[in-house]
Amino acid sequence: MKRFSKIYIAFILLILFAPIAVMAFFSFNAGESTAVFTGFSLRWYKELFRNSNILNALKNSLILALTSSVLATVIGTMAAFGIHHTKNKKVKGAIMGITNVPLMNPEIITGISMMFLFVFVGGLIGLSTKLNFGTMLIAHVTFSLPYVILNVLPKFRQMDKSLPEAALDLGCTPLQSFFKVQLPAVLPGILTGLIMSFTLSLDDFVISYFTSGTDFQTLPILIYGMTKKSVKPTLYALSALMFLIILVLLLISNREKSTAERMEAKRLKAEKRRKEAILRAQKSGKAPRKEKADETKATAPSHNRPIYLNKIIALVCVVAIIITACVAVSITSRQTITLNVYNWGEYISDGYDGSLDVNRAFEEYCKNELGMNVKVNYLTYDSNEDLYAKLSTEAVSYDVIIPSDYMIARLANEGLLEELDFDNIPNYEECIGEEFRGLYYDPENKYSVPYTYGMVGVIYDANIVDEADTGDWDLMWNSKYSGKILQFNNSRDAFGTAIYKLGLDVNTTDAAAWDAALTELKAQKPMLKKLVMDEIYNMMETGEAAISSYYAGDYLTMVDNQAENVDLQFYYPENTNLFIDAMCIPKGAQNKSLAEVYINFMLSREAAVANAEYICYASPNSLVRNDETYIEDMGEEAIEILYPEDFDFAKEYDANCYKDLDPTTKEYINNLWNDYKLYHNTIPAEGEEESTSPNVTWLSITILILFIICIVTIVSIIIIKRRKKHKI
Amino acid sequence: MTGARKYNGPRRSALQRFAAAPHIAWAVLFVIAPLIFVAYYAFTNSADGSFTMANIAAFFTKEYLLIFWRSVKLAFFATLICLLLGYPTAYFISRCKPGTQKILIVLLMLPMWTNFLIRTYSIMTLLQDTGILNSLLGAIGIKPLSIIGTETAVVIGMVYDYLPYMILPIYSVMSKMDHRLIEAASDLGCNGFQVLKKVIIPLSISGVISGITMVFVPSISTFYISQKLGGPSTLLIGDVIEQQYTASNYNMVASLSFVLMVILIVGLAIVNHYTDSDDGGGMLI
Amino acid sequence: MKKRLIELKNISKAFDGEAVLSNIDLYIHDHEFMTLLGPSGCGKTTTLRIIGGFETPDEGDVYFEGERINDLPAYKRHVNTVFQKYALFPHLNVFDNIAFGLRIKKVKEDVIREKVSEMLSLVNLVGFEKKNVSLLSGGQQQRVAIARALINEPEVLLLDEPLGALDLKLRKDMQVELKNIQTKTGITFVYVTHDQEEALSMSDTVVVMANGKIQQIGTPIDIYNEPVNAFVADFIGESNILDGVMLKDFCVKFASHTFDCLDKGFEINEPVDVVVRPEDVDVVPVEKGMLSGLVTSVTFKGVHYEIIVDIDGFKWMIQSTDYVAPNSVIGVYIEPDAIHIMKKSEFSNMFGDYSTFSDEMDHLSEVPEEDEE
Repeated sequence: MKRFSKIYIAFILLILFAPIAVMAFFSFNAGESTAVFTGFSLRWYKELFRNSNILNALKNSLILALTSSVLATVIGTMAAFGIHHTKNKKVKGAIMGITNVPLMNPEIITGISMMFLFVFVGGLIGLSTKLNFGTMLIAHVTFSLPYVILNVLPKFRQMDKSLPEAALDLGCTPLQSFFKVQLPAVLPGILTGLIMSFTLSLDDFVISYFTSGTDFQTLPILIYGMTKKSVKPTLYALSALMFLIILVLLLISNREKSTAERMEAKRLKAEKRRKEAILRAQKSGKAPRKEKADETKATAPSHNRPIYLNKIIALVCVVAIIITACVAVSITSRQTITLNVYNWGEYISDGYDGSLDVNRAFEEYCKNELGMNVKVNYLTYDSNEDLYAKLSTEAVSYDVIIPSDYMIARLANEGLLEELDFDNIPNYEECIGEEFRGLYYDPENKYSVPYTYGMVGVIYDANIVDEADTGDWDLMWNSKYSGKILQFNNSRDAFGTAIYKLGLDVNTTDAAAWDAALTELKAQKPMLKKLVMDEIYNMMETGEAAISSYYAGDYLTMVDNQAENVDLQFYYPENTNLFIDAMCIPKGAQNKSLAEVYINFMLSREAAVANAEYICYASPNSLVRNDETYIEDMGEEAIEILYPEDFDFAKEYDANCYKDLDPTTKEYINNLWNDYKLYHNTIPAEGEEESTSPNVTWLSITILILFIICIVTIVSIIIIKRRKKHKI
Repeated sequence: MTGARKYNGPRRSALQRFAAAPHIAWAVLFVIAPLIFVAYYAFTNSADGSFTMANIAAFFTKEYLLIFWRSVKLAFFATLICLLLGYPTAYFISRCKPGTQKILIVLLMLPMWTNFLIRTYSIMTLLQDTGILNSLLGAIGIKPLSIIGTETAVVIGMVYDYLPYMILPIYSVMSKMDHRLIEAASDLGCNGFQVLKKVIIPLSISGVISGITMVFVPSISTFYISQKLGGPSTLLIGDVIEQQYTASNYNMVASLSFVLMVILIVGLAIVNHYTDSDDGGGMLI
Repeated sequence: MKKRLIELKNISKAFDGEAVLSNIDLYIHDHEFMTLLGPSGCGKTTTLRIIGGFETPDEGDVYFEGERINDLPAYKRHVNTVFQKYALFPHLNVFDNIAFGLRIKKVKEDVIREKVSEMLSLVNLVGFEKKNVSLLSGGQQQRVAIARALINEPEVLLLDEPLGALDLKLRKDMQVELKNIQTKTGITFVYVTHDQEEALSMSDTVVVMANGKIQQIGTPIDIYNEPVNAFVADFIGESNILDGVMLKDFCVKFASHTFDCLDKGFEINEPVDVVVRPEDVDVVPVEKGMLSGLVTSVTFKGVHYEIIVDIDGFKWMIQSTDYVAPNSVIGVYIEPDAIHIMKKSEFSNMFGDYSTFSDEMDHLSEVPEEDEE
């Protein structure tokens, strides 16, 4: 039995630690993969300390965690004191009830409910950014409070009731009695509450996700964004480091507990010895010696660290680390103006692997050329629809955004874009060719400066996919490769693939065409591995999936990183989407002229080439297209894919770009997309669909009801049992 | 007995009376008011803010009920597995020497202090078709498993992420349990199984209940785990809420949240009301 | 005439509608060791807390040196308390605990050091300055609590069952020590206890309380020898309390027998309570006895035997140094000065018969009190 229990505990720990061990192990990977270990190196740790995004998010997280935990601890401690002294049982119950709501409520609901409040109230008082550091702070304090109270309240209960009276008796005023006696007595609980709310806040993702704005990105939010793409071991390195720090802190604070235990054990031993001595003395007929003499000897040599000192040390360590981190970060970047840039993921040269860090370069440029301290706050989105959602709620404000053509048209139509002042963008004239001007989405060249363009193609793994099956859109519907296919996780692109497959017009307003596309997508859904956006990199590179359609430039990135047993190939189906992504300035931008300077900078040769090489998308910038190093670096094959010869851009674009559809159709597609997302059918055969699904529904509803009945029964049994117990 | 033993002060000082006021104000403003907003958005339409039941009614359609049913099912299995794995763990740990117990509990808590997103992500790298598990299996010549993207993967993720939440409350109840009770029970003629049934389980039921709550609630509302480990057909109620949020369809977000909340709060309030409230404190440390 | 330091006038107090104290009148003199004695729930602790300022009376007034102090908060009173479980501050060491009161008064640090070491030697704790209070034994904690209160040089020291948590041996030692401290410092002690032996051996004045009322105030000797009613007689020491009728002055009839006594001033044929202390009953052969009965149990108690004798259905307790055999018939003899006559009171017929007596019962009855803390 003993042995079994040991093995069992070891097994559970093994389960719990396996992913962490994997994480720590791969943080030392020499390669980029988080799944294939190619050799030991510390490069990701170096990368980590060079990555200003991560360090900045870490700093933000620490600041938020510190302020929110301190605030929560102060309010919570006072509350615990008040609750402890509330005599009315009903009032007490009501307060505890409210206190426990954030504990019982799922995090997602807490987050969403607060988001509603902030957006509503922010709208009432007319804030331009309704979600910001303040809202996050409020949210974090709110969910930390119950933990503080639950830790402090029992300490008040355990405290000798006469302690505060003893303080009054010795001349303390009630206020002095609180600070000099009660507070120190409950201090261990307060410290535990503080540490707990600090770590909870540091680790919180869900609530932050719904209440964070653009100006203040915490680490979990950043990590969430990063895990949407191909994760590099940098994140693992960060986690391994944080794990190590927490391990050390826990060890310190645990040592303190065991010190207290040792002292207690010593005392008990001393007492025992004293009693034995008295007994012996009585036996031998001598009168027991005076008690105090014995005690003086028996008590251990005075060793007098207050029990919670180590906890304080641990806390001081944390604070010290935070301050050092903050100072370190703020020394390297003492900025004043923040420029919020909102872009697609993996869509800018970020200094990774020796490339130019464009945003830092821009900061340098501002400092040297303009004498301004600028900080680029770079945030990413997953799809045009995400971007639109963020912009339309007006909960946040950005300075530069890079949407696709149809979205630019929509934003411009809805008056969500600022007109650009091209005096501030002198590079435009030189860089942007005639064919990229005056396109449908911005006929008067008022709102946008093209950033990249490209086409959607089909990517497949030649090791799995038969060459004969390739060439058109049908490959994505080929049941031979069921479970290996990926589809876009945004409505326009996903419907696009189906519409092209059916040979229809992608900008049709005919509802029947969209319905037909939906049917196609629904038929495809059971064969899909996943709906993806930037996760596609990882999944295609490692061979998790074999077929997908995506943007041509990204294929080049994938080929560079593909695993040994993967052989990615690419083709353009006959009809496919052509897109342009362009830089715009949204309404409500805080620094419009600086945003224009930024756009201008992005057009400069250095930045544009770096971006084009990093992103691998075709560049509308003539400086790039004609740059010899660029052509050399990209290689012949890539150039061919990106800039196909004999390609009439204007004609193709006109035929195959996505246009901004009329509101009714947009709404219609939106609903279809919703429908598609919720759609679930494991049986691909179409004929059976109608007959099976209602049965499945009724069956599941019945089971659900049975389940609820079960819960109710269990609960009532418990209640009845407890009632009985109480009566006895 | 008599009132003479009630050593309450004659009157509460202003300090004692108003110390909880900031917290109450905070809770009303930032806990209760937001929930009212959820209800408000759930029952109004986005166009003109007039009253409507349409959002709530949408929840009770085939698609949403299926998804809700799937959420309940997966959360239920995750909770059940956590309980089956966690209960013996808590029991075994509580039978260890006090020093060993401390270390084991710290070890149990450690994974929780690593970012939950990264943990889930690294589970993904373990489980995916070309992941570590399959390459290990491949190395010993076993056919690779295809786990990722299935409901099983989501349940594995939930179990892994929330197992400590099950073990810790049960452990904290068990560690307070007097071990002489077990001896007394055996002394009175209980065999091993009877001891478990008649003494240990009844005494640890409050820990079990809070453990179940702490696993079930986050499991049923998660969206990250299903996003990373699930596939297109493992959509959970949390995913739908998140999707609707990203699409800024706030009224639908509100109605889904509202229904989920009502169901959970009613259930939990009943359970919580009859569970010792002291057990909540210090559960995690 | 000694100075009246504290006066309680007509004090009443109720908790949740339940009267705890009714119409208490009490004077506490300077330099006095006064004990409030009574069973748990009698109101003694509440009385103490009213003096300490932790409770305000519902009715009546508290005077300190002639000044009404009803509304004076605890921290402004020249009174200090030693709490039941000491209430030492767990975050402070011995020195800081004792120095606490002086530090609040912003006394200079070197004065504090001097005074604390003075106190430590008074309570025999020299060398313990830096110790953590939670690691001290009960007796040591007790001494720290006393030193912490005394260092403020209060006019009155209130002690709330200070020895309740100590084991018997330590308790006896501390009784002596406390008395010594009181004599040395000359401070007025108001001492709350439910232990009658403690009360008798330490006090100058004993106040016996029951049901929220003062039953008797007097010196220990008066209280023991001249209890005013059945409650006091029973609570202080062991007593056989019988129903009797005062036939005339110096003559009482009880247990179907007429006795001479030393009491007078009752009406003729007035029903009274008769108290006979167990040690005052002499065991004699049956033929020489005034009464006779069957011995039902004999317990050896060290100094004496405790003999329970059934005399006409009433179980008497007799303490005798001579052994008698159980189930034998003995005679008892009672001297006139061993008989004490009391007026009938609300406590009549509640005490006195030893038919269900046992040591354990006595002990058990004190347990619930501990549990309530």
